[in-house]
Amino acid sequence: MSRSEVTAQIADVLSNVSSIDPSEAVSEKSFAELDIDSMTMLEVVVAIEDRFGLLIPDDDWPRFTTIDDLALYIETATLTVS
Amino acid sequence: MTANVFEQAPELTEIGAAIALSANANREYARLGLLDDLAAASTIPTELIYRDWRDARRVASLPVAKDNAYVDQFGAPYFGIHRADLQKTLSTAFGLENLHLGCRLVNIIEDGDSVVLEFANGRVERADIVVGADGVRSTVRRWITGSDDAIYSGTSAFRGIVPTENLPSLPDPHAIQFWMGPDAHLLHYAIGGTGELVNFFAVVETPKIWLPEGTIAEVHEDVPIASFRGWHPAVIEMIRAAASPLRWALFTVRPLLHWYRGRIVILGDAAHGMLPHHGQGANTSIEDAFTLAALLAESSSDDVQDTFARFQALRRTRTRKIQRSSRVTSSMLHLPDGPKAQARDAKVGRVRDDFAWIHGFDVQKSLEAVDRRATASAGAV
Repeated sequence: MSRSEVTAQIADVLSNVSSIDPSEAVSEKSFAELDIDSMTMLEVVVAIEDRFGLLIPDDDWPRFTTIDDLALYIETATLTVS
Repeated sequence: MTANVFEQAPELTEIGAAIALSANANREYARLGLLDDLAAASTIPTELIYRDWRDARRVASLPVAKDNAYVDQFGAPYFGIHRADLQKTLSTAFGLENLHLGCRLVNIIEDGDSVVLEFANGRVERADIVVGADGVRSTVRRWITGSDDAIYSGTSAFRGIVPTENLPSLPDPHAIQFWMGPDAHLLHYAIGGTGELVNFFAVVETPKIWLPEGTIAEVHEDVPIASFRGWHPAVIEMIRAAASPLRWALFTVRPLLHWYRGRIVILGDAAHGMLPHHGQGANTSIEDAFTLAALLAESSSDDVQDTFARFQALRRTRTRKIQRSSRVTSSMLHLPDGPKAQARDAKVGRVRDDFAWIHGFDVQKSLEAVDRRATASAGAV
Protein backbone atom coordinates (compact mmCIF):
# COMPACT_ATOMS: atom_id res chain seq x y z
CA MET A 1 0.00 0.00 0.00
CA SER A 2 1.41 3.40 -1.01
CA ARG A 3 2.01 6.26 1.41
CA SER A 4 -0.87 8.25 -0.10
CA GLU A 5 -3.22 5.29 0.32
CA VAL A 6 -2.14 4.90 3.95
CA THR A 7 -2.65 8.63 4.50
CA ALA A 8 -6.17 8.39 3.07
CA GLN A 9 -6.93 5.53 5.45
CA ILE A 10 -5.62 7.57 8.38
CA ALA A 11 -7.80 10.50 7.32
CA ASP A 12 -10.80 8.16 7.27
CA VAL A 13 -10.00 6.86 10.77
CA LEU A 14 -9.61 10.43 12.05
CA SER A 15 -12.99 11.39 10.64
CA ASN A 16 -14.59 8.37 12.34
CA VAL A 17 -12.89 8.82 15.71
CA SER A 18 -12.84 12.57 15.98
CA SER A 19 -15.19 13.96 13.29
CA ILE A 20 -12.29 15.63 11.53
CA ASP A 21 -12.96 16.61 7.92
CA PRO A 22 -10.78 14.19 5.87
CA SER A 23 -9.65 17.09 3.67
CA GLU A 24 -8.05 18.63 6.79
CA ALA A 25 -6.02 15.50 7.49
CA VAL A 26 -3.10 16.10 5.15
CA SER A 27 0.38 14.61 5.55
CA GLU A 28 2.16 17.56 7.12
CA LYS A 29 -0.60 18.31 9.66
CA SER A 30 0.33 17.57 13.24
CA PHE A 31 -2.09 15.79 15.53
CA ALA A 32 -1.82 18.78 17.88
CA GLU A 33 -3.05 21.06 15.10
CA LEU A 34 -6.04 18.74 14.69
CA ASP A 35 -6.76 18.99 18.45
CA ILE A 36 -5.99 15.30 18.99
CA ASP A 37 -5.02 14.89 22.65
CA SER A 38 -3.25 11.82 24.02
CA MET A 39 -6.47 9.98 24.91
CA THR A 40 -8.01 10.60 21.48
CA MET A 41 -4.70 9.57 19.94
CA LEU A 42 -5.01 6.23 21.67
CA GLU A 43 -8.45 5.78 20.09
CA VAL A 44 -6.90 6.60 16.72
CA VAL A 45 -4.10 4.08 17.32
CA VAL A 46 -6.49 1.26 18.24
CA ALA A 47 -8.65 2.00 15.19
CA ILE A 48 -5.53 2.03 12.99
CA GLU A 49 -4.44 -1.31 14.50
CA ASP A 50 -7.82 -2.85 13.70
CA ARG A 51 -7.80 -1.49 10.17
CA PHE A 52 -4.26 -2.55 9.26
CA GLY A 53 -4.07 -5.66 11.44
CA LEU A 54 -0.88 -4.54 13.12
CA LEU A 55 -0.04 -3.76 16.70
CA ILE A 56 1.47 -0.40 17.61
CA PRO A 57 3.22 -0.73 20.98
CA ASP A 58 2.40 1.99 23.52
CA ASP A 59 6.01 3.14 23.54
CA ASP A 60 5.92 3.85 19.79
CA TRP A 61 2.89 6.03 19.22
CA PRO A 62 3.78 9.07 21.37
CA ARG A 63 6.50 9.86 18.83
CA PHE A 64 3.98 10.39 16.01
CA THR A 65 3.86 14.17 15.63
CA THR A 66 2.38 14.46 12.16
CA ILE A 67 0.09 12.31 10.05
CA ASP A 68 3.06 11.53 7.85
CA ASP A 69 4.98 10.13 10.86
CA LEU A 70 2.15 7.66 11.42
CA ALA A 71 1.82 6.90 7.70
CA LEU A 72 5.54 6.13 7.45
CA TYR A 73 5.33 3.86 10.50
CA ILE A 74 2.38 1.93 9.05
CA GLU A 75 4.02 1.70 5.64
CA THR A 76 7.19 0.27 7.16
CA ALA A 77 5.37 -2.09 9.53
CA THR A 78 3.08 -3.50 6.84
CA LEU A 79 6.05 -4.01 4.53
CA THR A 80 7.78 -5.93 7.31
CA VAL A 81 4.66 -8.01 7.93
CA SER A 82 4.17 -8.90 4.29
CA MET B 1 -27.94 -20.49 28.26
CA THR B 2 -26.22 -22.47 31.00
CA ALA B 3 -22.88 -21.27 32.37
CA ASN B 4 -20.47 -23.35 34.40
CA VAL B 5 -17.58 -21.77 36.29
CA PHE B 6 -14.36 -23.76 36.76
CA GLU B 7 -12.02 -22.30 39.37
CA GLN B 8 -8.60 -23.65 40.23
CA ALA B 9 -8.75 -22.62 43.90
CA PRO B 10 -10.00 -25.43 46.14
CA GLU B 11 -12.16 -23.03 48.16
CA LEU B 12 -13.44 -19.48 47.94
CA THR B 13 -11.29 -17.80 50.54
CA GLU B 14 -8.54 -15.51 49.44
CA ILE B 15 -6.58 -14.47 52.49
CA GLY B 16 -5.04 -11.05 52.49
CA ALA B 17 -6.76 -9.65 49.45
CA ALA B 18 -9.39 -7.00 49.10
CA ILE B 19 -10.86 -5.13 46.22
CA ALA B 20 -12.28 -1.67 45.59
CA LEU B 21 -15.51 -1.74 43.57
CA SER B 22 -16.13 1.55 41.79
CA ALA B 23 -19.33 2.97 40.30
CA ASN B 24 -18.71 1.49 36.86
CA ALA B 25 -18.94 -2.03 38.35
CA ASN B 26 -21.45 -1.35 41.12
CA ARG B 27 -23.87 0.11 38.58
CA GLU B 28 -24.10 -3.38 37.04
CA TYR B 29 -24.37 -5.15 40.38
CA ALA B 30 -27.23 -2.78 41.25
CA ARG B 31 -29.03 -3.89 38.07
CA LEU B 32 -28.67 -7.50 39.25
CA GLY B 33 -30.08 -6.58 42.66
CA LEU B 34 -26.82 -7.41 44.47
CA LEU B 35 -25.89 -3.97 45.77
CA ASP B 36 -27.47 -4.34 49.22
CA ASP B 37 -25.66 -7.62 49.88
CA LEU B 38 -22.36 -6.11 48.76
CA ALA B 39 -22.94 -2.95 50.80
CA ALA B 40 -23.49 -5.02 53.94
CA ALA B 41 -19.95 -6.43 53.66
CA SER B 42 -18.29 -3.21 52.45
CA THR B 43 -16.92 0.05 53.71
CA ILE B 44 -17.54 3.24 51.75
CA PRO B 45 -14.47 5.48 52.08
CA THR B 46 -15.12 8.79 53.80
CA GLU B 47 -12.70 10.61 51.48
CA LEU B 48 -10.01 10.10 48.89
CA ILE B 49 -6.83 11.58 50.36
CA TYR B 50 -3.34 12.02 48.89
CA ARG B 51 -0.57 12.39 51.49
CA ASP B 52 3.09 13.22 51.60
CA TRP B 53 5.20 10.16 52.30
CA ARG B 54 7.25 11.69 55.12
CA ASP B 55 5.17 14.24 57.00
CA ALA B 56 1.65 12.91 56.26
CA ARG B 57 0.64 16.32 54.93
CA ARG B 58 -2.67 16.26 53.06
CA VAL B 59 -1.63 17.05 49.51
CA ALA B 60 -5.23 16.86 48.30
CA SER B 61 -8.52 15.39 49.39
CA LEU B 62 -11.92 14.77 47.85
CA PRO B 63 -15.13 13.68 49.60
CA VAL B 64 -16.45 10.20 48.79
CA ALA B 65 -19.11 9.15 51.36
CA LYS B 66 -19.05 12.69 52.73
CA ASP B 67 -21.92 14.73 51.29
CA ASN B 68 -22.75 11.68 49.14
CA ALA B 69 -20.31 13.28 46.71
CA TYR B 70 -19.19 10.16 44.81
CA VAL B 71 -22.69 8.76 44.26
CA ASP B 72 -23.94 12.20 43.21
CA GLN B 73 -21.22 12.42 40.57
CA PHE B 74 -21.18 8.85 39.27
CA GLY B 75 -24.61 7.40 40.11
CA ALA B 76 -23.38 4.38 42.11
CA PRO B 77 -21.28 3.87 45.24
CA TYR B 78 -17.60 3.03 45.88
CA PHE B 79 -16.98 -0.01 48.10
CA GLY B 80 -13.95 -1.48 49.84
CA ILE B 81 -14.67 -5.21 50.21
CA HIS B 82 -12.80 -8.41 51.04
CA ARG B 83 -12.52 -10.67 48.00
CA ALA B 84 -13.98 -13.57 49.97
CA ASP B 85 -17.10 -11.47 50.69
CA LEU B 86 -17.44 -10.50 47.04
CA GLN B 87 -17.01 -14.12 45.95
CA LYS B 88 -19.56 -15.27 48.53
CA THR B 89 -22.16 -12.76 47.32
CA LEU B 90 -21.59 -13.60 43.67
CA SER B 91 -21.45 -17.38 44.12
CA THR B 92 -24.64 -17.37 46.21
CA ALA B 93 -26.45 -15.38 43.51
CA PHE B 94 -25.00 -17.56 40.73
CA GLY B 95 -25.79 -20.86 42.40
CA LEU B 96 -23.25 -23.25 43.80
CA GLU B 97 -24.39 -26.17 41.62
CA ASN B 98 -22.64 -24.69 38.56
CA LEU B 99 -19.50 -23.57 40.38
CA HIS B 100 -16.72 -26.15 40.26
CA LEU B 101 -13.74 -25.60 42.56
CA GLY B 102 -10.34 -27.27 42.45
CA CYS B 103 -10.37 -27.38 38.64
CA ARG B 104 -7.05 -26.21 37.17
CA LEU B 105 -7.17 -26.08 33.39
CA VAL B 106 -4.33 -27.94 31.68
CA ASN B 107 -5.50 -28.44 28.10
CA ILE B 108 -7.92 -27.06 25.52
CA ILE B 109 -8.98 -29.05 22.47
CA GLU B 110 -11.20 -27.70 19.71
CA ASP B 111 -13.62 -30.33 18.45
CA GLY B 112 -15.96 -29.14 15.71
CA ASP B 113 -18.60 -26.85 17.19
CA SER B 114 -17.48 -27.45 20.74
CA VAL B 115 -14.43 -27.23 22.96
CA VAL B 116 -13.04 -29.88 25.26
CA LEU B 117 -11.43 -28.74 28.50
CA GLU B 118 -9.09 -30.99 30.46
CA PHE B 119 -8.38 -30.26 34.10
CA ALA B 120 -5.49 -31.32 36.34
CA ASN B 121 -7.84 -33.34 38.56
CA GLY B 122 -8.74 -35.58 35.61
CA ARG B 123 -12.08 -33.94 34.90
CA VAL B 124 -13.00 -33.45 31.24
CA GLU B 125 -15.75 -31.07 30.13
CA ARG B 126 -17.25 -30.12 26.78
CA ALA B 127 -18.55 -26.59 26.13
CA ASP B 128 -20.11 -24.62 23.26
CA ILE B 129 -17.92 -21.64 24.07
CA VAL B 130 -15.18 -20.96 26.60
CA VAL B 131 -14.56 -17.64 28.36
CA GLY B 132 -11.09 -17.45 29.88
CA ALA B 133 -11.10 -15.15 32.91
CA ASP B 134 -7.93 -16.67 34.31
CA GLY B 135 -5.83 -13.66 35.11
CA VAL B 136 -2.66 -11.97 34.00
CA ARG B 137 -0.77 -15.28 33.56
CA SER B 138 -3.71 -16.76 31.65
CA THR B 139 -3.52 -20.31 30.33
CA VAL B 140 -6.37 -19.60 27.92
CA ARG B 141 -4.58 -16.55 26.49
CA ARG B 142 -1.52 -18.64 25.80
CA TRP B 143 -3.74 -21.00 23.81
CA ILE B 144 -5.15 -18.07 21.81
CA THR B 145 -1.94 -16.14 21.08
CA GLY B 146 0.61 -18.94 21.27
CA SER B 147 2.89 -16.95 23.54
CA ASP B 148 3.17 -15.62 27.07
CA ASP B 149 2.21 -11.97 26.72
CA ALA B 150 2.65 -11.07 30.39
CA ILE B 151 5.28 -8.42 31.06
CA TYR B 152 6.84 -7.71 34.44
CA SER B 153 6.40 -3.99 35.17
CA GLY B 154 9.56 -3.47 37.21
CA THR B 155 7.38 -2.85 40.24
CA SER B 156 6.21 -5.15 43.00
CA ALA B 157 3.96 -4.86 46.03
CA PHE B 158 3.67 -5.86 49.65
CA ARG B 159 0.12 -6.18 50.86
CA GLY B 160 -1.85 -6.99 53.94
CA ILE B 161 -5.07 -6.67 55.90
CA VAL B 162 -4.76 -5.22 59.38
CA PRO B 163 -7.36 -4.62 62.13
CA THR B 164 -8.05 -0.88 62.19
CA GLU B 165 -7.60 -0.85 65.96
CA ASN B 166 -3.95 -1.87 65.46
CA LEU B 167 -3.23 1.34 63.55
CA PRO B 168 -3.33 4.11 66.19
CA SER B 169 -0.96 6.35 64.20
CA LEU B 170 -3.09 6.31 61.06
CA PRO B 171 -5.00 9.52 60.34
CA ASP B 172 -8.43 9.07 58.74
CA PRO B 173 -8.42 5.24 58.79
CA HIS B 174 -11.73 5.03 56.91
CA ALA B 175 -10.54 7.10 53.97
CA ILE B 176 -8.96 5.68 50.83
CA GLN B 177 -5.45 7.13 50.90
CA PHE B 178 -2.42 7.31 48.66
CA TRP B 179 0.88 8.01 50.43
CA MET B 180 3.18 9.24 47.65
CA GLY B 181 6.97 9.16 47.88
CA PRO B 182 10.19 8.59 45.98
CA ASP B 183 10.09 5.31 44.00
CA ALA B 184 7.17 3.98 46.04
CA HIS B 185 3.62 4.55 47.24
CA LEU B 186 1.23 2.99 49.68
CA LEU B 187 -2.52 2.73 49.06
CA HIS B 188 -5.01 1.67 51.69
CA TYR B 189 -8.73 1.60 52.30
CA ALA B 190 -11.03 0.08 54.91
CA ILE B 191 -13.09 -3.05 54.32
CA GLY B 192 -15.76 -5.00 56.20
CA GLY B 193 -19.25 -3.85 57.12
CA THR B 194 -17.98 -1.42 59.75
CA GLY B 195 -14.53 -0.57 58.46
CA GLU B 196 -12.97 -2.85 61.03
CA LEU B 197 -10.09 -3.82 58.75
CA VAL B 198 -7.66 -1.84 56.62
CA ASN B 199 -6.39 -3.33 53.37
CA PHE B 200 -3.11 -1.95 52.06
CA PHE B 201 -1.02 -2.25 48.94
CA ALA B 202 2.55 -0.92 49.12
CA VAL B 203 4.30 -0.61 45.76
CA VAL B 204 8.05 -0.33 45.19
CA GLU B 205 10.20 -0.04 42.08
CA THR B 206 12.13 -3.22 42.77
CA PRO B 207 13.26 -5.69 41.71
CA LYS B 208 14.17 -4.53 38.21
CA ILE B 209 13.93 -8.10 36.91
CA TRP B 210 11.53 -10.75 38.19
CA LEU B 211 13.14 -14.17 38.32
CA PRO B 212 10.72 -16.41 40.29
CA GLU B 213 8.42 -18.75 38.36
CA GLY B 214 5.15 -17.45 39.78
CA THR B 215 3.98 -13.94 40.69
CA ILE B 216 4.56 -14.24 44.45
CA ALA B 217 7.90 -14.65 46.20
CA GLU B 218 8.89 -14.96 49.81
CA VAL B 219 11.21 -12.26 51.14
CA HIS B 220 13.06 -11.79 54.41
CA GLU B 221 10.66 -10.41 57.01
CA ASP B 222 12.65 -7.14 57.23
CA VAL B 223 12.39 -6.36 53.51
CA PRO B 224 8.91 -4.75 53.43
CA ILE B 225 9.72 -2.35 56.27
CA ALA B 226 13.23 -1.64 54.98
CA SER B 227 11.71 -0.71 51.61
CA PHE B 228 9.85 2.16 53.32
CA ARG B 229 12.65 3.41 55.58
CA GLY B 230 12.17 7.10 56.38
CA TRP B 231 8.42 7.08 55.65
CA HIS B 232 5.83 8.37 58.10
CA PRO B 233 5.32 6.21 61.25
CA ALA B 234 1.73 5.37 60.18
CA VAL B 235 3.08 3.71 57.03
CA ILE B 236 5.71 1.74 58.93
CA GLU B 237 3.13 0.75 61.56
CA MET B 238 0.79 -0.63 58.91
CA ILE B 239 3.43 -2.68 57.11
CA ARG B 240 4.80 -3.99 60.40
CA ALA B 241 1.31 -4.93 61.63
CA ALA B 242 0.69 -7.06 58.54
CA ALA B 243 3.93 -9.00 59.12
CA SER B 244 3.65 -10.51 55.65
CA PRO B 245 6.96 -11.66 54.14
CA LEU B 246 5.57 -11.93 50.62
CA ARG B 247 6.22 -9.85 47.52
CA TRP B 248 3.72 -9.71 44.63
CA ALA B 249 5.16 -8.99 41.19
CA LEU B 250 3.04 -6.57 39.19
CA PHE B 251 2.59 -7.88 35.66
CA THR B 252 0.73 -6.34 32.76
CA VAL B 253 -0.35 -7.89 29.46
CA ARG B 254 1.04 -6.36 26.30
CA PRO B 255 -1.77 -5.01 24.11
CA LEU B 256 -3.28 -7.77 21.99
CA LEU B 257 -4.88 -7.55 18.56
CA HIS B 258 -7.18 -10.52 19.20
CA TRP B 259 -8.96 -11.60 22.34
CA TYR B 260 -10.52 -14.67 20.76
CA ARG B 261 -9.84 -17.67 18.59
CA GLY B 262 -12.46 -20.11 17.42
CA ARG B 263 -15.02 -20.55 20.19
CA ILE B 264 -12.72 -19.29 22.92
CA VAL B 265 -12.46 -15.73 24.22
CA ILE B 266 -10.61 -14.04 27.08
CA LEU B 267 -11.58 -11.13 29.27
CA GLY B 268 -10.35 -9.19 32.31
CA ASP B 269 -6.68 -9.40 33.26
CA ALA B 270 -6.24 -12.28 30.82
CA ALA B 271 -6.99 -9.87 27.96
CA HIS B 272 -5.69 -6.56 29.28
CA GLY B 273 -3.84 -7.07 32.57
CA MET B 274 -2.99 -3.63 33.92
CA LEU B 275 -1.23 -2.03 36.84
CA PRO B 276 -3.67 -1.62 39.71
CA HIS B 277 -3.15 2.11 40.32
CA HIS B 278 -6.58 3.19 39.09
CA GLY B 279 -8.15 0.31 41.02
CA GLN B 280 -9.60 -0.90 37.74
CA GLY B 281 -8.28 -4.42 37.15
CA ALA B 282 -11.34 -6.06 38.67
CA ASN B 283 -13.74 -3.29 37.72
CA THR B 284 -12.90 -3.48 34.02
CA SER B 285 -13.14 -7.28 34.24
CA ILE B 286 -16.66 -6.86 35.62
CA GLU B 287 -17.47 -4.43 32.78
CA ASP B 288 -16.13 -7.02 30.32
CA ALA B 289 -18.26 -9.77 31.84
CA PHE B 290 -21.49 -7.78 31.69
CA THR B 291 -20.74 -6.66 28.13
CA LEU B 292 -20.01 -10.18 26.90
CA ALA B 293 -23.02 -11.61 28.73
CA ALA B 294 -25.33 -9.07 27.09
CA LEU B 295 -23.92 -9.78 23.63
CA LEU B 296 -24.11 -13.56 24.08
CA ALA B 297 -27.67 -13.33 25.36
CA GLU B 298 -28.83 -11.87 22.06
CA SER B 299 -26.72 -14.04 19.74
CA SER B 300 -27.10 -17.57 18.42
CA SER B 301 -24.47 -20.30 18.54
CA ASP B 302 -23.88 -19.78 14.80
CA ASP B 303 -22.50 -16.27 15.15
CA VAL B 304 -19.96 -16.78 17.91
CA GLN B 305 -17.16 -15.14 15.91
CA ASP B 306 -19.29 -12.09 15.23
CA THR B 307 -20.24 -11.85 18.92
CA PHE B 308 -16.63 -12.09 20.05
CA ALA B 309 -15.59 -9.50 17.45
CA ARG B 310 -18.27 -7.11 18.71
CA PHE B 311 -17.18 -7.72 22.29
CA GLN B 312 -13.58 -6.94 21.48
CA ALA B 313 -14.53 -3.86 19.47
CA LEU B 314 -16.55 -2.56 22.40
CA ARG B 315 -13.87 -3.16 25.01
CA ARG B 316 -10.40 -2.87 23.50
CA THR B 317 -10.07 0.90 23.32
CA ARG B 318 -11.42 1.60 26.80
CA THR B 319 -9.31 -1.01 28.55
CA ARG B 320 -6.19 0.05 26.61
CA LYS B 321 -6.74 3.63 27.76
CA ILE B 322 -7.03 2.60 31.40
CA GLN B 323 -4.08 0.25 31.07
CA ARG B 324 -1.92 3.07 29.74
CA SER B 325 -3.21 5.63 32.21
CA SER B 326 -2.46 3.25 35.11
CA ARG B 327 1.15 3.04 33.96
CA VAL B 328 1.49 6.81 33.83
CA THR B 329 -0.11 7.03 37.27
CA SER B 330 2.51 4.65 38.67
CA SER B 331 5.28 7.06 37.68
CA MET B 332 3.36 10.06 39.01
CA LEU B 333 2.88 8.44 42.42
CA HIS B 334 6.60 7.69 42.70
CA LEU B 335 8.17 11.08 41.99
CA PRO B 336 11.02 12.21 44.22
CA ASP B 337 10.58 15.45 46.17
CA GLY B 338 11.14 18.39 43.85
CA PRO B 339 9.55 20.46 41.10
CA LYS B 340 7.89 17.53 39.33
CA ALA B 341 6.29 16.32 42.55
CA GLN B 342 5.13 19.87 43.29
CA ALA B 343 3.54 20.13 39.85
CA ARG B 344 1.78 16.81 40.44
CA ASP B 345 0.61 17.92 43.89
CA ALA B 346 -0.88 21.07 42.41
CA LYS B 347 -3.19 19.11 40.13
CA VAL B 348 -3.85 15.84 41.97
CA GLY B 349 -6.94 17.37 43.57
CA ARG B 350 -8.59 17.33 40.14
CA VAL B 351 -8.22 13.57 39.92
CA ARG B 352 -11.90 12.71 40.17
CA ASP B 353 -12.89 14.99 37.31
CA ASP B 354 -9.84 13.95 35.31
CA PHE B 355 -10.84 10.29 35.68
CA ALA B 356 -14.60 10.74 35.52
CA TRP B 357 -14.44 8.85 32.21
CA ILE B 358 -13.39 5.77 34.17
CA HIS B 359 -15.90 5.86 37.01
CA GLY B 360 -18.82 7.34 35.07
CA PHE B 361 -18.78 4.60 32.43
CA ASP B 362 -22.03 2.73 31.94
CA VAL B 363 -21.84 -0.71 30.29
CA GLN B 364 -25.50 -0.71 29.26
CA LYS B 365 -25.19 2.70 27.62
CA SER B 366 -22.12 1.53 25.70
CA LEU B 367 -24.18 -1.39 24.37
CA GLU B 368 -27.10 0.88 23.49
CA ALA B 369 -24.75 3.24 21.64
CA VAL B 370 -23.61 0.34 19.46
CA ASP B 371 -27.21 -0.64 18.80
CA ARG B 372 -28.03 2.95 17.82
CA ARG B 373 -25.05 3.09 15.45
CA ALA B 374 -26.08 -0.24 13.90
CA THR B 375 -29.66 0.99 13.46
CA ALA B 376 -28.47 4.28 11.94
CA SER B 377 -26.18 2.52 9.47
CA ALA B 378 -28.97 0.05 8.53
CA GLY B 379 -31.25 3.05 7.98
CA ALA B 380 -28.62 4.71 5.81
CA VAL B 381 -28.63 1.67 3.52
